[in-house]
Amino acid sequence: MSAEPADQPAVSHSPGSIPQPVAEDSSQNEARIAQRLERRRRFAGELAQWLPAESILSSEEQLRPYESDGLTAFKATPLLVVLPDTIEQVQAVMRWASANAVPVVARGAGTGLSGGALPHEDGILLGLARFNRILELNLELGHARVQPGVRNLAISDAARPHGLYYAPDPSSQIACTIGGNIAENSGGVHCLKYGLTVHNVLSVTVVTIDGDLLTLGGEAQDSAGYDLLALMTGSEGMLAVVVEVCVKLLPVPPEARLVMAAFDSVEAAGDAVGRVIAAGIIPAGLELMDKPAIIAAEAFAKCGYPTDAAALLLCELDGTAEEVVSQIERVSEVFRASSVSSLHIADSEAERLLLWKGRKSAFPAVGRLAPDYYCIDGTIPRRQLSHVLQRMDELSEEYGLPIANVFHAGDGNLHPLIMFDAGKPGELHRTEQLGSQILQLCVEVGGTVTGEHGVGVEKINEMCVQFDSDTLTQFHSVKAAFDPQGLLNPGKAVPTLQRCAEFGAMHIHHGELPFPDLERF
Amino acid sequence: MIHNDDSAALLERVQQAASTATPLNIVAGNSKHWLGNHRALEERADALSMLSHSGIISYEPTELVVSVRTGTPVTELNRVLAEAGQMLPFEPPVLPASTIGGVLACGMAGPARPFAGSARDYVLGTRVINGQGHDLSFGGEVMKNVAGYDVSRLQVGAYGTLGVLLDVSMKVLPRPEAELTLVHAATPHDTPSFARLLRQPLPLSGAMLIADRRYLRLSGSEAAVSAAARELGGDTLPDDESDIWQQVRDHEHEFFKSAEGGKRLWRVSVADHAPALDLPGEWLHDWAGAQRWLQSDASAEDIHRAARAAGGHATRYCAGPPGENALQPLDGVMRRLQSRVRDSFDAQRLFNRGRFHPELDTIEHTQMAREG
Repeated sequence: MSAEPADQPAVSHSPGSIPQPVAEDSSQNEARIAQRLERRRRFAGELAQWLPAESILSSEEQLRPYESDGLTAFKATPLLVVLPDTIEQVQAVMRWASANAVPVVARGAGTGLSGGALPHEDGILLGLARFNRILELNLELGHARVQPGVRNLAISDAARPHGLYYAPDPSSQIACTIGGNIAENSGGVHCLKYGLTVHNVLSVTVVTIDGDLLTLGGEAQDSAGYDLLALMTGSEGMLAVVVEVCVKLLPVPPEARLVMAAFDSVEAAGDAVGRVIAAGIIPAGLELMDKPAIIAAEAFAKCGYPTDAAALLLCELDGTAEEVVSQIERVSEVFRASSVSSLHIADSEAERLLLWKGRKSAFPAVGRLAPDYYCIDGTIPRRQLSHVLQRMDELSEEYGLPIANVFHAGDGNLHPLIMFDAGKPGELHRTEQLGSQILQLCVEVGGTVTGEHGVGVEKINEMCVQFDSDTLTQFHSVKAAFDPQGLLNPGKAVPTLQRCAEFGAMHIHHGELPFPDLERF
Repeated sequence: MIHNDDSAALLERVQQAASTATPLNIVAGNSKHWLGNHRALEERADALSMLSHSGIISYEPTELVVSVRTGTPVTELNRVLAEAGQMLPFEPPVLPASTIGGVLACGMAGPARPFAGSARDYVLGTRVINGQGHDLSFGGEVMKNVAGYDVSRLQVGAYGTLGVLLDVSMKVLPRPEAELTLVHAATPHDTPSFARLLRQPLPLSGAMLIADRRYLRLSGSEAAVSAAARELGGDTLPDDESDIWQQVRDHEHEFFKSAEGGKRLWRVSVADHAPALDLPGEWLHDWAGAQRWLQSDASAEDIHRAARAAGGHATRYCAGPPGENALQPLDGVMRRLQSRVRDSFDAQRLFNRGRFHPELDTIEHTQMAREG
């Protein structure tokens, strides 16, 4: 899942982890508020040169809906929200921001799960929701030119009557926008076979912080110079603002079938995944759920999952009718040879969709088992799965918090869902600590702290574990090449070395102490 | 295969070069010595050989990932993958002594590219020495990873100007169960016929046009390939052309050798549906019309102008006269931004100075007054 819809936040409660301003005496506070209101008024006045009044939101009531994205744990109120509807307006806003050194945070539908669209208190939030038109659906050439605020699913909905679709399908696809997908390099359950956003985008047109308009990529298969399209994809709004996107449309596979296989242990299921791939089969989707996730999903969706199983695999095969028949045969053979406890092939399209519904509702399903839940997004080499799950069991016991696991088994992307009760004192804090421990475990076994949700503000500390100071410095240099003043989405995605030193749990590279040049507190 | 981790020595060489501001020409198999603006190569540069940095670091077929040192010969890597029934789906071209580092640095891919994806599509992680002599690791060995900017994919096609590629992790895929080529009579330049085929759910893995023949390659399960072959019809490949895909991929085909006096080989990269370009010479259309090879005596300026007008770019694929730009010139905002990107990795312009886009070797100052 790349991102759940906005109504299914990753953390269903607010831990208030944002550093709060230190307590001030009331006169200082009043002066600060007055200053802030004055700046808001002045900025709104200046922006009114290029934007109609209804495109500038400045009252507290208007700003509140924008104070967080899908990660509601973090909240901040921007000085202003601007909602341009032309590229020229975006350019003007960026030039103004650049000239006045005002931070800019871009936002699509706000479904992201890592706080990537969390506003900056001293900046403006650039909402791209009005860029919601499909500009061109070129059936002959198999591409769609769309504005960044177009919803992911809307592209496939428009193309499907013509036998085409846009492949990346994050779980939030009904709500999330293509611009946000570029920012996060979103995946989906079918990305093992059809790739991530980076594999399915032909070009993006961006506005730089200087207000320049640039198209990266194009209709040719490559471009002169550096591949800035690849760099832009997944850059979390740190490098430029996407104002137009051209995506590749693929022919809808004539046939898709789902095989459901139950196992007595997670190890056996993990082993079966390895065997499917070793047999030379790349399923369209390959999802693994552990027992707590199976029970939760079944209770929620009543889709016919075997609740006595320790692990469940959903394996989708697509292609031409001939291809699918032969692949189902081979996959079933592999599962039988992998001590499967029960094997079922969905015998209708309705059943296939129902079985997927169970998997796709795993988040809200787990959400019914506990007052709150927290979704983690790490990737691990698949061979480490049983070790990671075992270690996670131990951590779960240690922290006294149950965990359910859904796993994009084909590509190693693990989503542990930690169940907790934010009403109990200290439980939220323990949950965050457990989450951080799990991400560090992912790095330890050779994986990464984020497979698809992005770093945002959420995983900024764990980046210090994954990358050494030289690499983080290189990231900052790349950022500076695009945005020398550091105005685009400040404080997100890449931690400062200072922050890493404060976090303490640091990357040890070649046995050396990291950041030897930094003073310690 | 020789397993040799030369990274410590390479790192030391780069650190030394950085401290003395000595430019470095990165060389491995030297199989593409004619590519890029080689004549403009910095004369006083030292060669940095990658050949002693070779071998497969890890390969677990069920994970679909291989990690390899960049001085590893492509043939060697292909052999190891084939033993496990797998492959690099972008079909790296194999010129004599080609290394995987060289293929990635030049961003090359074989006939499967429009169907299977490009070299950068399969790169998951890299270990790179930047111009400050720092040993950096980006991405990783997992397929989904959005931690940090995607600097690994950015390295592909950068001609080594963003750092010395030490190690690379790539996604691999199973080899297809069946493969079959169909040959049809065709009108030269009839690339629009490809566009129609590309929008159908066919298991295509190659589509090219050589003179008056169209070649379509089908790859996939036995069932899918034979069904598609029935649907498309056409002749099967004659025996004397049984290795035609490999020949075109590796530039061993007659077309690439046929340059007569004054003609030079160009790679023109345009949209597959772009109309025929008005340039003199002979054409071979690969990548369903998106990669067009041209043997021509037209000037570099004319070829670059025509390629740009068609929405693409052109690269000279052979040695050329000094001063002629082998790559499509970059200008305006794009040039300034790309130059700053180069700046962020190699501020002193140590690596392959002059080899890539020479216009990126002028150091940009970020606060420089904006042009026009």
